[in-house]
Amino acid sequence: MTMTIATTIDEILSGLSQGARPIAGGTDLVVGSRQGKGTLPEHLIAIDRVSELAHIEVGAETTRIGSGVTHATLMTDPTIVASFTGVSDAAALVGSPATRNVGTIGGNVMNGSPAMDTGAPLVVLGAQAELASTSATRLVDLDELWVGPGRTSAADDELCTALVIPNRPESSGSAYVRLEYRRAMEIAIVGAAAAVTLDGDAISSVRVALTAVAPTIISVGGLDAVVGQPADEAALAAVSEASSEQAAPISDLRASDRYRRHMIGVMARRAVEAAARRASGETISVPVNRALGVGAQS
Amino acid sequence: MAVTNLPEFIRADGPDKVTGSGRYTADMTLTGQLVAKFKYGEVSHGRITKLDVEAARAIPGVFAVLTAADVPDVRYSYGLADRTLFATDIIRFEGEIVAAVAAIDADVAQQALDAIVLEVDVLEPITDLHAAIADGSPLVHEAIDTYEVTGDTPHSGNIATHSSISMGDAEAAMATADTVVTSRYLADASHATPIEPRAVIAQWEGDKVTVWTSTQVPFDARAGVCETLELPTSKVRIIAPHLGGGFGGKCGAHFEPHIAALARAAKRPVKLVFSRWEEFIAPDRRREAMIIDVTTGVDADGKIVARTGEILLDNGAYMADSSFFAQAAAMHVAGPYVIPAVHIDAKLVYTNHQPSGSVRAPTAPQGCWAIESHTDEIAKAIGMDALEFRRKNIVTSGSTGCVGQTYDEIGLDQCLDMAAASAGWGQDLPDGEALGISVGWWPSFAAPAGAYAKLHGDGTVQVITGASECGTGSVMTLRMLAADEIGIDETAVELIYQDTGAAPAGPGSSGSQTLFNHGRAVEKASRMVADQVKELAAAQLEANVSDIVLDNGTASVAGSPAISIPIVELAGASETGEILGSAAADAIEWPEITGSTCLGEQGFSSWLAPQFSCHVARVRVDADTGVTRVLEVHAVHDSGTILNPVAAHGQVEGGVMMGVGQALTEGTRYDDQGNQLNAGLLEYKLQTIADAPKITTQFVEIFTDNAGPRGAKGLAEAPNVATCGAVNNAITNATGVRIRQLPMTAERVWEAINDSEAAS
Repeated sequence: MTMTIATTIDEILSGLSQGARPIAGGTDLVVGSRQGKGTLPEHLIAIDRVSELAHIEVGAETTRIGSGVTHATLMTDPTIVASFTGVSDAAALVGSPATRNVGTIGGNVMNGSPAMDTGAPLVVLGAQAELASTSATRLVDLDELWVGPGRTSAADDELCTALVIPNRPESSGSAYVRLEYRRAMEIAIVGAAAAVTLDGDAISSVRVALTAVAPTIISVGGLDAVVGQPADEAALAAVSEASSEQAAPISDLRASDRYRRHMIGVMARRAVEAAARRASGETISVPVNRALGVGAQS
Repeated sequence: MAVTNLPEFIRADGPDKVTGSGRYTADMTLTGQLVAKFKYGEVSHGRITKLDVEAARAIPGVFAVLTAADVPDVRYSYGLADRTLFATDIIRFEGEIVAAVAAIDADVAQQALDAIVLEVDVLEPITDLHAAIADGSPLVHEAIDTYEVTGDTPHSGNIATHSSISMGDAEAAMATADTVVTSRYLADASHATPIEPRAVIAQWEGDKVTVWTSTQVPFDARAGVCETLELPTSKVRIIAPHLGGGFGGKCGAHFEPHIAALARAAKRPVKLVFSRWEEFIAPDRRREAMIIDVTTGVDADGKIVARTGEILLDNGAYMADSSFFAQAAAMHVAGPYVIPAVHIDAKLVYTNHQPSGSVRAPTAPQGCWAIESHTDEIAKAIGMDALEFRRKNIVTSGSTGCVGQTYDEIGLDQCLDMAAASAGWGQDLPDGEALGISVGWWPSFAAPAGAYAKLHGDGTVQVITGASECGTGSVMTLRMLAADEIGIDETAVELIYQDTGAAPAGPGSSGSQTLFNHGRAVEKASRMVADQVKELAAAQLEANVSDIVLDNGTASVAGSPAISIPIVELAGASETGEILGSAAADAIEWPEITGSTCLGEQGFSSWLAPQFSCHVARVRVDADTGVTRVLEVHAVHDSGTILNPVAAHGQVEGGVMMGVGQALTEGTRYDDQGNQLNAGLLEYKLQTIADAPKITTQFVEIFTDNAGPRGAKGLAEAPNVATCGAVNNAITNATGVRIRQLPMTAERVWEAINDSEAAS
């Protein structure tokens, strides 16, 4: 087995083209290997020291989050907290301080787990993954990237170099909430993200995505009826119902499908409510779970 | 004897543990060391039809492969000798060891395991407690009647031990009751879950073996090696390096005999380090599942007149040290109440689950959770405040409890009042929040223990003790006792411990006995040293021995502090250049009980120096999800004199946290074959520091006669008794629904709320 420490993106892409696999924090890859989920690749290329991957760049139309940005940065970076708060909510819930200091958003996204925390907020914010290889760079919608549990549509020689998120209109807010049984070292039982834009008191756009209730993160469809409505009890109930209906949860050690189906409705409602309050200018500290006493309460 | 002002607690092992300079068993490497791995039975119940290890033995780099054929044919376990080191014919649980290999590295060891041919006829697993004790049930141990029995261990079929506690005519008394309340509670099995997985290294020199092992009880581990490998005591030395937690789970001999046998066969040192999965499935120590049925009758004044109950405990496949569990559980289901007529039957039932064994206050958290939940149900049924009902019925100084033991001065009533006051019992709380109360009890245990003390010519002291430090800080308290007796500074006392080759025997870290028993021995041995110092001082100062005072490194004449001599000078002046003390703790008599008749007497009806506690928990329940968060626990304990307040607070805080975990998230799940589904730390959810409630600890300090040193009782296990019950009662007070299965997971709480809403 070999491990090469890259210092530039070109070195990474060259390595990938020769069959190496990338490793950043290693929080999924190494832990998974130790648990017997798969052997480590024969050739690893460490990408955590490539500073180009660790930048957050705010452009005119989009914000580009380098794939090497850590969860610890995402939960505190003023731009992310102000504009893409749901991503900060999610990053703040990942693992422990140790996990958050080495785990990266690129690793989280490319690991492709349906229980990943940052996935649902990225989806509702309309993020695309930037995939680069020695021959080309392309942007891929996340619902096209994730094709199943732990599987992506990226080619073996492609590196996720960034997540690119359209900048948000005025009066927008986002949030991510999850059901958790303890307050650290936890994995989402179910989770929901929402992005809301308001026009006065009325919802002008709303997107909701769900964590850990299907083989991949899924978007909730059919929310058109709440557009134009205030984020009131009727709207929240509609979101909750649609989310429960569209979830396809399984029963496992963490929860029964019945419980998950009910809980996803609760989480979706809370996510939309928090996102709408943030859209209206209210500050709800990150993460929502702690601020509002959602899940394992503060 | 007066309680002196002991010095501030200094934890001698603290810097090593915090900086990482301390060595644990898994950190050790010996020259030529091999790696051990176990071949497990892979099914929970099966008959071995073929076991062939020849191919494994032939692999280059494999130095030894052992099966039952390679070790003495010895059956062991307390109560009923039901176990062998390796499975012989029947596999009785998934973690049963069929073979052990020692190889040059982990990969080769794994190849050897893979090369072992094991063929098994799978048998229907016995996992349901009621079915297991029904007539005609298949037996976990078909030859049980041929097993050697020790103690009063009535057994039949799959019932490993049948114990009862019984006083008066409970049926007749129940008939006189104004209100009768019946409850059923279920508790899932759980684990000790020390953060350090087990590790063992064995090395032979000639016919003597040294075993370094992560044990809480080096002398029991030695006894286990000697018994199973048929070795004399003098040929086996057990050393425990720093221990990364035990919580009871590392009591008994666990895998020291297997590794000693492997090392002998391989003619090399052999090292075993468990994976986390093995740590969950293989040890014969886990907290047992229970089914608890209990009925209580109360009179018009709200006084308990009778209690009856039946408890089934899941013993798993083997006895380990569980023979007393049935009687201990019965005591908890009776509880620290004045009950004139009581009859509780408790049956420890064999199944094809992992064996149950000591985990911090065995049987108590589940039994107390059930009975304290039941107690709140009774209070509700008669419209009485839960605190008031307990005040009316708990045992107090001079009262007689459920088996006819009359208590000397005890402080349960003070615990109750102090905990309630601390928590603000009766205050208005926000929606979704509530308080819940629980009382608990736990005995102290007297056992033989010895100690040596040496005052060196340079004024330093070495205390050599059979005690073990599994994290409680109790061993560290022994330094304080020695320093205080000899009149020197605590930092001048060095401890030699966790080495059977050096120290006199003792119970180690089990049953809250470190300070209680080892402390008495250390105190006595140190006093022998002090007495000799006083004699030397008396001669030099021309005073009476009885007038000599040892303090602050100086021997002086009482009332004339100017007439003094440094202790270091006296030590050097002794004939041998050092002053020796050696002592065994005095025997303690167990209290009498009268008026009760108990079946299956396992030493758990009469309680020596009983400890009492009251915990009040404040919880917040998220009714939409069932997620419960424990916000505060107010814990008040009567554990006699508190000699080391820092360590005592630490014990209570740790016990409460363990209780919160057992209350909310820690429970073993099985598949339909009796195999554990959540044998890992992601799905078996311990509490984290981020989940910790605010814990407020107080002690009712009552100097207790016939107890530990200076009026102390035990303390390590008692804080793990009452938290679960307090949390359940708080959940009920917050939601109006009663949770009847432990752990009270978010889904279970939500289901109960949901069912209640559906019904109304």
